[in-house]
Amino acid sequence: MTPHYAAAFNDLREGIRNWPIWGRLGWQEVKRRYRRTVFGPFWATISIGMFIGGMSFIYAPLFNTTVSTYLPWLTTGLVSWSLIAALINEGTGTYTAGVGIITTLNFPYSILNFMVIWRNVIVFFHNLLIVIVVVLALGVPINSSTLLIIPGLAIIALNGIWITMILGMVSARYRDIPQLVGNLTQILMFVTPVFWVTSSLGDRGHKVTQANYVFHLVEVLRQPMLGQTPTLMNYAVTLGGAALGMLVALFLFARFRRRIPYWL
Amino acid sequence: MASINVENVTIDFPIYGAGRRSLRQSLLARTGGLVRREGNHMQHILVRALENVSFKLEDGDRLGLIGHNGAGKSTLLKALAGVYWPDAGAIRIDGRISPLFTAAPGLDLEDSGQENIKTCGMFLGMSAEEVARKMPDIMEFCELGEYLDLPVRTYSAGMITRLCFAIATSIDPDILLLDEGLAAGDARFANRAEHRMNGLINRTRILVLASHSDAMIKQMCNKGILLEKGKVLALGSVDDVLKEYHRRNDELAAPAAE
Repeated sequence: MTPHYAAAFNDLREGIRNWPIWGRLGWQEVKRRYRRTVFGPFWATISIGMFIGGMSFIYAPLFNTTVSTYLPWLTTGLVSWSLIAALINEGTGTYTAGVGIITTLNFPYSILNFMVIWRNVIVFFHNLLIVIVVVLALGVPINSSTLLIIPGLAIIALNGIWITMILGMVSARYRDIPQLVGNLTQILMFVTPVFWVTSSLGDRGHKVTQANYVFHLVEVLRQPMLGQTPTLMNYAVTLGGAALGMLVALFLFARFRRRIPYWL
Repeated sequence: MASINVENVTIDFPIYGAGRRSLRQSLLARTGGLVRREGNHMQHILVRALENVSFKLEDGDRLGLIGHNGAGKSTLLKALAGVYWPDAGAIRIDGRISPLFTAAPGLDLEDSGQENIKTCGMFLGMSAEEVARKMPDIMEFCELGEYLDLPVRTYSAGMITRLCFAIATSIDPDILLLDEGLAAGDARFANRAEHRMNGLINRTRILVLASHSDAMIKQMCNKGILLEKGKVLALGSVDDVLKEYHRRNDELAAPAAE
């Protein structure tokens, strides 16, 4: 396949320009999922809330901490992780879910990528409610670092573009990938310090977590929610990763964008 | 000025997840494009949907695509719509193109009729303002009244057709690609639908229509193209091409009748 970089860039540019479509579809999708429920999208919030409530009391003693220090750590970590995991898992279905329109229309496919990202950002804002409750109830500091939530969210969304592009394409062609990715994210959840505290692993644990890309993604969003500043390393890794990921995604998109309809 | 220029277009469909057994079945098939295998172990199955197709269309041309099931009519329409990029050859198109295939693009059964009008309209290339401007006309034409606030899954098949038809025909394209079977509904609606469809066709510069109905092709088209197994067998005035189509059908039928 000869690469068509102009077509790939054009797709992304047109996708951004068509924000009213994915803005709308993202909302619709969230509404659809919870239609006829009383709590709507807050069901995601409630389920995380219940999970956190239960886990805190069992895990806090396990890690030799108090509930009041463990609970904010777990809450912010799980809310950040949920967003990242959803981008990875739902990213695999980016193009296969759009089969109806991809096989009838010529349109910027990146609309579908932005839709997946936007939909999960909306869910994140619902989940943020638990964070706010926990932060206020337990007196977690709110300061200038808290504002870093915004760049943190932006960095994750930016990474979401290449993640959904690559996984979307590979999954459209090879249908085993979504299954595999589903399994891997499950393992990733336990490997990444979401439930457990980094310090409990000691020096070796430090190295393991530093080598985990998803850990840095979690950190740029979790630390500001705890009123802390993420490390320079966290920012360097996630921004560098976004740049590198975009390069790979564009390379693949330029080559295979035209093949996507044939794969569906 | 709108124009379509199709040059030596060939399209192969890779078929995934088809075993040897289904291959044997497709080899026995009398319709459809040529099926062949490639790769070291002949593991890649390819269906040649279009082969070396060329033609040119300009303002005022109304082209009818004629042929059996699987002759390549829909593939050609989709290639013109830009859905499938040709493996070989080139398609050059000047003008705003609107594909009207089976259902409205992006239709979601869980959403209400009104929500679907917005979504589908945007996918058909209308801006939010354009959709808002055309909304009253669409709502009035489909005559769904209060149903427009209900989820589409509560509609009858005929009502869904009405909605899709009303949305699809509200556009202003330069080039219209039409797959048959779009219009339906009850007798009274069919009458209004025909009227609305004619209005749409009169607004467009170029029409490409795929249909099995001679009457429909004759009524709407001035040019014809006869496809068989992805190849162009005849190209010319609609009457000549239809004549050729029936001559071939009779030839095929003759030995069978003996």
